[in-house]
Amino acid sequence: MTRYIARRLAFAVPTLAGIVVLVFALLHLAPGSPVSALGEGSGRRVSQQAAHEMQRLYGLDRPLPERFARWISRVARLDFGESFVDHRPVLARIGEALPYTLVLNGLALLLTLAIAVPLGVAAGGRPEGSLDRASSAILFALYSLPAFWAALLLQTLFSVKLRWLPLYGVASDLPEGGAAGFLDRASHLVLPVLCLTYGSLAFFARLIRSSVAETRNADYVLAARARGLSRRQALWKHAFRNALIPLVTLLGLVLPGLLSGSVIIERIFAWPGLGRLYFDSILSRDYPVILALSLLGAVSTLVLTLVADIASAVADPRVRDGSIS
Amino acid sequence: MANPRKGVLLASIAASLAAGIFLSSGCRDKPDRAPSASTRSATPRPAAVAAPLGFLDESGLAPAGEGGTLRRRLSGDPATLNAVMQSGLPEQEVLQYVSRNLLDLDSQMKVVPGLARFTVSPDGRTFLFTLRDDAVWEDGTPVRAADAVFTIRSIVDPKIPSPVFRSVFDGLLSVYATGEKTFTVRFRETYAYRSMSFVLPLLPERRFAKKHFLSAPDNRAPFSNGPYRFVSWKPQQEIVLERNPRAWGERGHFDRIVFRILPEDSVAYRSLLAGNLEETRLDSTGKGRAAQDPEFAACCRLVEYFDLGWNYIALNNRSPLFADARVRRALTMLLDRAAIVRNLFQGSARILSGPWAPDSAVYDATVSPLRFDPAGAASLLDAAGWRDSNGNGVRDRGGREFAFDLLVSTGTTAGRQIDETFAAELARAGIRATIRPVEWAAFSERVDAGDFEAASLAWSASDPNPDPYPFWHSSQWPPHGLNSEFYKNADADRLMEEARAEQDESRRTAIYHRLHRIFRDDAPVIFVATSSQKFGFSRRVRGLVTSPLGMFGIWPGPLGWWPAGEEGGPAARPPSSPSPVLR
Repeated sequence: MTRYIARRLAFAVPTLAGIVVLVFALLHLAPGSPVSALGEGSGRRVSQQAAHEMQRLYGLDRPLPERFARWISRVARLDFGESFVDHRPVLARIGEALPYTLVLNGLALLLTLAIAVPLGVAAGGRPEGSLDRASSAILFALYSLPAFWAALLLQTLFSVKLRWLPLYGVASDLPEGGAAGFLDRASHLVLPVLCLTYGSLAFFARLIRSSVAETRNADYVLAARARGLSRRQALWKHAFRNALIPLVTLLGLVLPGLLSGSVIIERIFAWPGLGRLYFDSILSRDYPVILALSLLGAVSTLVLTLVADIASAVADPRVRDGSIS
Repeated sequence: MANPRKGVLLASIAASLAAGIFLSSGCRDKPDRAPSASTRSATPRPAAVAAPLGFLDESGLAPAGEGGTLRRRLSGDPATLNAVMQSGLPEQEVLQYVSRNLLDLDSQMKVVPGLARFTVSPDGRTFLFTLRDDAVWEDGTPVRAADAVFTIRSIVDPKIPSPVFRSVFDGLLSVYATGEKTFTVRFRETYAYRSMSFVLPLLPERRFAKKHFLSAPDNRAPFSNGPYRFVSWKPQQEIVLERNPRAWGERGHFDRIVFRILPEDSVAYRSLLAGNLEETRLDSTGKGRAAQDPEFAACCRLVEYFDLGWNYIALNNRSPLFADARVRRALTMLLDRAAIVRNLFQGSARILSGPWAPDSAVYDATVSPLRFDPAGAASLLDAAGWRDSNGNGVRDRGGREFAFDLLVSTGTTAGRQIDETFAAELARAGIRATIRPVEWAAFSERVDAGDFEAASLAWSASDPNPDPYPFWHSSQWPPHGLNSEFYKNADADRLMEEARAEQDESRRTAIYHRLHRIFRDDAPVIFVATSSQKFGFSRRVRGLVTSPLGMFGIWPGPLGWWPAGEEGGPAARPPSSPSPVLR
């Protein structure tokens, strides 16, 4: 087991280094610069002299390897520098947006699992049954609805016409404390969480369905049934547990997404999360912020896939001894 | 993001930061009707006539309400609230409430006193300023000459990014205080539009002492010397201002101003209908929807006006394709601008014949635009040697086909549609233009470097400075300046030099009228049209004034707006028929 973990860790380090170099190079070689990004929508044309001065100020007149060396040596000391846009520490900007994205995406993931797991198990228990067919039709219909379109429709219905739910934002103008404040914040979450959930339902429910459908006829499930367990007990206690292994691997890939935010949903609901920060930073070529966010994404993906690998190794001895990958 | 003016635009520099109008100073077309009156003419004006249409002026109405909250929209989070480092419209729209400018621009685009009065030396190089005695910061301490000196020195400091103001202080020789309230600014040369440089908010010097300028706390919480003071800023959410109890001079009519940061146009529109926003910009699609939406008519009105912005298609004058003025003229004659005005802008646009909007003070309305004339264009192209010698449908000369890439910024819808019309017309005339959408930062980098053959652009709205020198003089070719088209004409160069040194306004205008004719005939770019700016406004807000500089970059501009009754109250009820702007 230790050897397995050590082997995975040894792979993670060069992967991370590769990602870092690649992101840095792509970013700086892409056309445009923090200076040329100014003026969109505002109509300002920066004079050539001011542009040169700004390039120098941000160190963009230096050769690329020098810029990389300078950046990586600061990152090694966990110093991600200051944003080119507002000159605040990059970590302060990320720290500001991170909780909003975590709450939104975390709730959406929990809700997705809360619906997808029972639905997937029930549908997988009787493949091609009426529930399976109906749920697959509905889930794929939902999956194919574009989020921005659904979000605008939901806003029009619930916020403009019915006025049940707030249109956007994280809280009302004059936030109240206690239960009322909590309800106010919760009501602001309803529509964005809904929009993030409905599309990923299909993904999870279908995955669980197919692995349950696969395991439900396995010998050990049949044996459990022969021992006198009900169909339901056999399904949940034996088929579902084994079907969880691919889900764990999948979660390892999905959890880093909690940090990446959703650009479209965050823009439509004016949600001050990481997705908007990332998107705006790319448009404004705010290199320090883009690099820090990319690094955050890369590290969390590596760590969580590592955790998922270890978890499935714990759950499945065949992974540990290398008989399956 | 649907703001169509995303092209490379004129440095709007000083003017766009201006915060004021003197309402008494006579605006055009004062309505003598009741509040919802508007003077917008619905008649399309395809001709390039500098007619004062589309102006709304409610400054003559006595404010019938005070207090409450005005909720405005910002399409993006400001980068900073430091006046010197600002780079975009969101910053300007917020700062206008908290920072008074040294000088202001009124709705007639005239420079008027703000925080200070000034006199100029006879040679036009030395400016003597006197600050108002009653001008104080929000803690009651006076606004001092030292603050102005500090601000201007920060602008020219190469260690401080000041993309908006840096270029307007080119040629600065010295700036120094001569007393508690007086200071002197000296420049190397005389410049006709110098006073516009001082449409400039000030920073309080002592609050930046011993602090790193780029990360000073005041950059996120500006210290006020204006009618409102800063309360809070939740990044990507909202900015709140309240009345400054120490305000001197003119005061606003609302108790609080809330700026909501809403990136999506369609959400802002819904927010307007839902009654939690008082204004938002509309694009052409949004205007079309609003005009047919009974919910919009019930709560809101459309405000539409022309400003100083305009669309054009830049041509690289150094390219063998476009070096010949006959070819550039022919291309202009191949663009059916009347059809663009009619179809694309639904009539709310005007054709241009030169590098200014028709409402600019120097536009010569007697210079008629080149006519749409495919046959005439064909003979000009033939005369320039571009013929289809091999019968493949594309003109060629010396073995080179007349084919080029037409860049357009992905953020603009109007520019893209203009390009499509143009490319279709060119194809019929045997010229192949391929439209290449490019993301803004990459687009503007190529345009500024002059690295393009043709590009679809828009000129900024809010700068009253008509000086063409920085953009059209041959000394300003990249990498030195912003003449990205590499235009060169010795006569035009000389006239531009004369004009910027000419102190007499009428003589200067006469020079610009001569230049206008040269520009029309040289066609350094394809001048397309100026299209209207469109906003949805809640009926709860009155006192609006539009100007060629827009509604925001003038004094008092938004500070003159007032609340027309409580939400749902009698004054907020919609009139029985929608305001004329809707029809």
